[in-house]
Amino acid sequence: MRPSVAEELLRRTFEVRGQDFDKAGETSAEVTAILKDLGIDPDIILRVGVVTFEAEMNVVMYAHEATVTFILTDEEILIDVTDRGPGIPDIGLAMQTGYSTASDEMREMGFGYGLGLPNIKKNSDAFILESEVGKGTTVHSSIRLDSSG
Amino acid sequence: MDKLTHGFRIEQDKCKGCFTCMRSCPTHAIRVRERKARYEPDRCIDCGVCLSACPWSAIAATTWSVEDLSRFRFKVAVPCPVLFGQFPASVAPAHIVEGLLTLGFDAVWDYTVEIGLVSRAISEYLENWKGATPLISVSCPVVVRLVQVSYPRMVDQLIPLHVPREIAGREVKRRYSARLGIPEEEIAAIYITPCQAKTISILQPAEGAESHLDGALGIADIYNAIVAYASLRKDEAGKTAQPPIIRDSSFLRWPVSEGLTHILSRQRYLHVTGLSNIIQVFDDIEKGKLRNVDFLEAYNCWSGCVSGNLTVANVYVTLSRFHSLISKLPEMDPETQAEVDRRYPKEDFRLERPIRPRPLRGSTGSLRERVRIIQQAEETSKILPGLDCGLCGAPTCKELARDISMGDATKQDCVFLSKDRLQNLRKAYLHQPT
Repeated sequence: MRPSVAEELLRRTFEVRGQDFDKAGETSAEVTAILKDLGIDPDIILRVGVVTFEAEMNVVMYAHEATVTFILTDEEILIDVTDRGPGIPDIGLAMQTGYSTASDEMREMGFGYGLGLPNIKKNSDAFILESEVGKGTTVHSSIRLDSSG
Repeated sequence: MDKLTHGFRIEQDKCKGCFTCMRSCPTHAIRVRERKARYEPDRCIDCGVCLSACPWSAIAATTWSVEDLSRFRFKVAVPCPVLFGQFPASVAPAHIVEGLLTLGFDAVWDYTVEIGLVSRAISEYLENWKGATPLISVSCPVVVRLVQVSYPRMVDQLIPLHVPREIAGREVKRRYSARLGIPEEEIAAIYITPCQAKTISILQPAEGAESHLDGALGIADIYNAIVAYASLRKDEAGKTAQPPIIRDSSFLRWPVSEGLTHILSRQRYLHVTGLSNIIQVFDDIEKGKLRNVDFLEAYNCWSGCVSGNLTVANVYVTLSRFHSLISKLPEMDPETQAEVDRRYPKEDFRLERPIRPRPLRGSTGSLRERVRIIQQAEETSKILPGLDCGLCGAPTCKELARDISMGDATKQDCVFLSKDRLQNLRKAYLHQPT
């Protein structure tokens, strides 16, 4: 995780399992429920929701399992998704809108249009993607609390 | 933010503090404290469930009365199509129109054309939409408010176009202002509404702009007057000078919420009614489980607007009358079609302001304070029984925990944690003089 100067106010971790389409979206729903309870600006909730949801879907579709960490500070919301999975061979390619390695079956379910990672980046104020082939992928996303626009 | 207006009033002298409304409220907006129910305005979505649930008729709807309209120089009734399915066969549509005129209206507006216009605008919006799906119809104000309060992430999926009644209100003012040479402010467009929620959507539109309508009268408020008028004029049926108000089936289809089915036949379409079903479907959308749907039309009332809480007639009888009328009418008559073609390019159907999520109580104070509240609520939840018995005056243990952390309640309100609470409830509820 990137060092953050601001004090951590709240931290939650969630486990997400690969191929578990039944539970897909629940982590995102829980994170947004917390933010809703906290009365966070809905525009920010929307962005955190998109980031968590897309990252969660990537785990469900491609990885074995992952830990999602949600951290709230005075200044930002950090979402950290670390998975154990195949990793991404070409990050540049994966970041291109429309590029996807999803199966027909996944597309049938309405996923895999190559919008996930670009969408996470678009909705983050800071975004880091790290991946090691054969080991896994980590997505760090930060959304500033004062960045509503 | 402006103070929220709601159409409900809990009459304290009638309220027995019986918990029925509290348990029925889908957004957990009601609490019973000191044997009286009260509601948190920011959580209320105007669905009217509490009003129907209350066994003591202690929850009343606030509406305009015919007298409230006297301040306008020229008053135009804009009746919801549902009105025309409310009466026995002996009351002809022309009687209904004339009845409205005798009530004090100067004209009656038929919004068949506006339905055609808005259907086209929705169609176009759907074709061009590139964002998250499904797009959600804003026809039912309860659905809009539910999204604002409980599904803030989905507000951008609400179709930001006016409903036909609003476009009708705008056109009524333009048209009669030009025709009569008086300013638009002196012309009132009054909606004849099948439900409370639409009244509130006129008082306070969800997007925070001004409504193009100036008020609403419930169908139940004018029903008797129209029946009385029709019985007086029974013998003259068919001799009226009124133009036919029901011109085609699109007008009648709109409120039974089939209005868009065939117009949007190329889209993947879902139709949901009843608040509990809607909540289930919205939960699935929020979790991303409902991706293959382009358009969702949802109505709080089980049969769409024909079963609104200000209607009078049996809903199944109304539906049957509608189906029989619809089968005899063209889908869109040539005159309406021509008028839709003429007006469509000239008018803007977008809402003047975007629909935003509604900020809820507990969202004030510093972030640290808000974090404290939810953390404390989580801690408190652990010592509560989790049975949601409601005897504390909150609908669920989770809600009580939150109330405690916000200082609205104490642990002593739980009958499992305080014997005094049980004693007090006994005193209050068992020795009540009847």
